[in-house]
This record gives sequence, structure tokens and C-alpha cells, in this order.
Amino acid sequence: MQLRYVFTELRQGLRRNLSMHLAVVLTLLVSLSLLGVGILLYQEADKTAEQWGSELQITVFLCNGTTDATPSCVGPVTDAQKSAIEKVLHENPNVDTFRLESQQEAYERIQHLNVPASSFTGSDPAIKVSDMPESYWITMKDPHKAASIKESVQGLDGVANVQDLHNIMGSILGTIDKLRNGTLIAAFVLLVAALLLVANTIRLAAFARRREIGIMRLVGASTLYIALPFLLEALVTAVAGVALAGGALAVVMKFGVIDSLSKLRWDAWVGWHEYWIAVGIISVLGVVMTVAPTLLLTRKYIKV
Amino acid sequence: MIRFEKVTKTYPGSGKPALDQVSIDVEKGEFVFLVGQSGSGKSTALRLILREARPSAGRVYVAGKEINRLAGWKVPRLRRQIGTVFQDFRLLQNKNVAENVAFAMQVTGHSREEIAERVPDTLELVGLEGKADRMPDELSGGEQQRVAIARAFVGRPMILIADEPTGNLDPTTSVGIMKLLDRINRTGTTVVMATHDASIVDQMRKRVIELEGGKVVRDQAQGVYGFQH
Repeated sequence: MQLRYVFTELRQGLRRNLSMHLAVVLTLLVSLSLLGVGILLYQEADKTAEQWGSELQITVFLCNGTTDATPSCVGPVTDAQKSAIEKVLHENPNVDTFRLESQQEAYERIQHLNVPASSFTGSDPAIKVSDMPESYWITMKDPHKAASIKESVQGLDGVANVQDLHNIMGSILGTIDKLRNGTLIAAFVLLVAALLLVANTIRLAAFARRREIGIMRLVGASTLYIALPFLLEALVTAVAGVALAGGALAVVMKFGVIDSLSKLRWDAWVGWHEYWIAVGIISVLGVVMTVAPTLLLTRKYIKV
Repeated sequence: MIRFEKVTKTYPGSGKPALDQVSIDVEKGEFVFLVGQSGSGKSTALRLILREARPSAGRVYVAGKEINRLAGWKVPRLRRQIGTVFQDFRLLQNKNVAENVAFAMQVTGHSREEIAERVPDTLELVGLEGKADRMPDELSGGEQQRVAIARAFVGRPMILIADEPTGNLDPTTSVGIMKLLDRINRTGTTVVMATHDASIVDQMRKRVIELEGGKVVRDQAQGVYGFQH
């Protein structure tokens, strides 16, 4: 297959339909950026829930025998006390599930929070595994019934304190959800616009090349050969749109999250790992969104 | 080389068939004129040969292949064995003569060496040596049609389909084009030409198939345009 023609046509096609291609690239830029923000917000909600518990969770911290001043703590929690607490939780109809977080697990989790790494190192580190309390992470059936669970475990032997963030978490997660849904809806509408623009661009390109296409069909060029310049045009547009959207998201991450929000005392911000997940998703979607309709429409316009 | 077996073609929305129970057999190396009034079914017959349309009933064989049964992805290969020339030349205005001819080879996967060898030979055959660098709008109608013929013949097809190739040309130029088609026919290429040009048909004395209302009303060896016993 001679690809010189294909690349010449690609160059001419991009130049001939420059305004349409720019429209597609800009629409892809905005829609994929919004989608990327939506994906980041989705991950932010997950991360927040993971670090602080969701609105359905309350956490029961147990005595570790070192820093507790609670009357119910007379030393580190015993197995018998844990069994008694678990029995109460089993019997409470508002408890859906619960799990015990060990001191080691708590220690590992806190290392991911906004705590200086030096706190964990050295011959006598500031934070040790033995400093960490064991805890029960309880998932409720109904967040409005948090008080009943709290009352049933508060004051039991071995319980240091009960952390009930469901009201705060509910409003934070609710806000994140609303923002995410808003951006996803806007992204969806713009992606539909991008699809229609791609379809229009192909129609224009096919019209501009109708004579070449007619001759190619008659002399026996394969459908793939005829369609290749269209597919490559779509691919170039998609790559440009995705690259710009990836760049826009990187700007949002760098100046909006890393340099600004991360300075706030909140330890569950999305980072570059989540950014690359979002970029991966928008890359696949951007390419599929432009190449798939091109494949379908070229089949229609250049039917052999 | 080309065989129609009781071929009927009815277009959607049209009650009357464009071709009605047509049976034709064209041997390898023949030169055949398809004549008849507008709407008689000439263009439909050519479209069926090119597999631009499929018959509603009956069978069409081209180069040994039954085109009704030919899978879509095999159609380009069939078309590489058929050269096509039209009344309106259909040249690419942004390419010069040599590029127009080379285009047919480029898009069907021929190597640069093949193209470099065959394009000048073909231009010489059609009488356009020395005009390889001219643009189509710098050529006369007859010359443009020669470029179109060169493009159709450069792949050395087994069949050449010509749809009114002299329709836009004056009588003198038309004679030149017919001589060229005759020369191509002498290389063993089967030529099927649809035409309204009575003088050319009468002059050439080749086989004439006359269509009327979608039916073959005459199939005459060494015939003329109008009916003659």
C-alpha cells in the first residue's frame, strides 16, 4: 500500500477543513476537560470516603493504654472487651457491617495523610505503631440513625471515643457529588456536540473529495485505502483535543489542587496518580468518539 | 468475458424495470457497442458490469465471477480488471496529466517503479507524449479524454467500459478517440461502449447490441447504429 497519497490527502484534508477541525478540537478540549474534572471529582469523593469514612460510617476508637483519658479506658482494650463491643454491634439493627482496623493498619493509613515523613523515622519516631488505637469502622444502614449506634457503644469498656462525621461527610460528599454530576452532564452535552461536529466534518471532507473518491472506487482502491485519510484526520483531531484537554487538566491539578487546595488541612486531595487515570479515560473516549463515527460515516459515504 | 443471464434490474420506487430479462454474452477481446435511446438501459447494464448495482433477478458474470455473489471486499479487485471512461472525463483538476494517470496505480497499491515505467508508456500509447506536465484545463476536450483513457488503461484491465466517450467531442476528435479505443481493443482488451453517436457506430462496423425499454431488440455482428437487415 502506498502511503504517500494517504499522507498527502491527510495534510490537504486538514488544511481544507481547518475551521471545522478547529471547532472539533475546541469542543473536544472543553468536553473532555469537563469529563476529566468529573472523573477527578469522582475519585475525590472516593478518596475522601476512604480517608474519613463515608456519610454511612462512624468510627469507634478503642483504648490503647497510652494516651486515653476516658473513664472507660483502664488500659489497652482486651479481647473480652472487643467481643462485648462486637456483640453490641451485631445486635444493633442499624449496623449494616463493621470491620476492625488493627494498630498496624491505622499506622499505615496515617502515613498517607498529611503528616511529615520524619514523624515515622529515626530511632525514636514521634509516631509508632503502638501509639495508634485499634478501631471499628461501622457502616450504617441509615445515616440518620447514627445516634442510636453511638449511644449503644459510647461508654462501653475499652471504647475511647466515637467519631461521628456523618453530618459533615454527608454535606461534603453531597457537594462533591453535585459538582461531579454537573460537570458530567455538561461534558455529555458537549460530547454530543463534538460527535455532531465530527459527523459534519466528515460529510464536508467526503464532499470535497467526491471526485477523488469516485475515481478511487472505479479503479478498484480498497475501502480501507479510501477511508484511511478520513480516519487519520479524525485521529489527528482526537489526539489534538485529548492533548489540549490533558494539558488543561494538568493546569487545574497543578495550580488548583497541588499548589492551592493541598495546603489546606485536608488530607484526601486527588494527586497525579488520579490525574493520569482521568487522562487515560479521556484519551480512550476522545479517540473512540471521533474514530467510531468516522468509521461508520465513511462506510456510508464511500460505499463500494 | 461478460455474460448477462436473463437479467432484470428494477430500481426501488420504479415500477418499470430498467433492464428486463436481458441475456448478453461478450467474448474476450470483443468490441461491442451498446446503443439505444436515453432510458433504454445502457447505463444500467454498465453499472451492473462494474458492480455499482446488483441485478434484481438473473445473473451477471464478469471475468468469470458472478457479481451477485461477490463479497463487498472483493469488489475493488474486480474493478481493477475493468477500466472506465466517461463522457465528462472526470479528471482531477489539481493534478497534471501524468499524476492523473499515476493516481489510478497509486491508489491500487502499485510500486513507484511500476508507475514510473508504465505511465510514460501509456501516455505514449494514447498520443500524449510530451504533455505529461500539462494541467487538465490546458488541454483540449479530446486530449482530456485521452488522459481519461490512459488512466483507465494504465492498469492493463481485461475490460474497458466507455460510457458515451465521444459525447462531448466534435466529430474529428471523436474519430481519434475511436481509433485509440480500437487500438486498445487490438491489445486483447474487451471494449464495451455505450453511445448515441450513429456515425461512429456505422464507421467502426463492430458488434452492436441495441436496447429499447430495457430489452435487447438487436444483437448484430458488424452492425450499424440504425436497424439494418
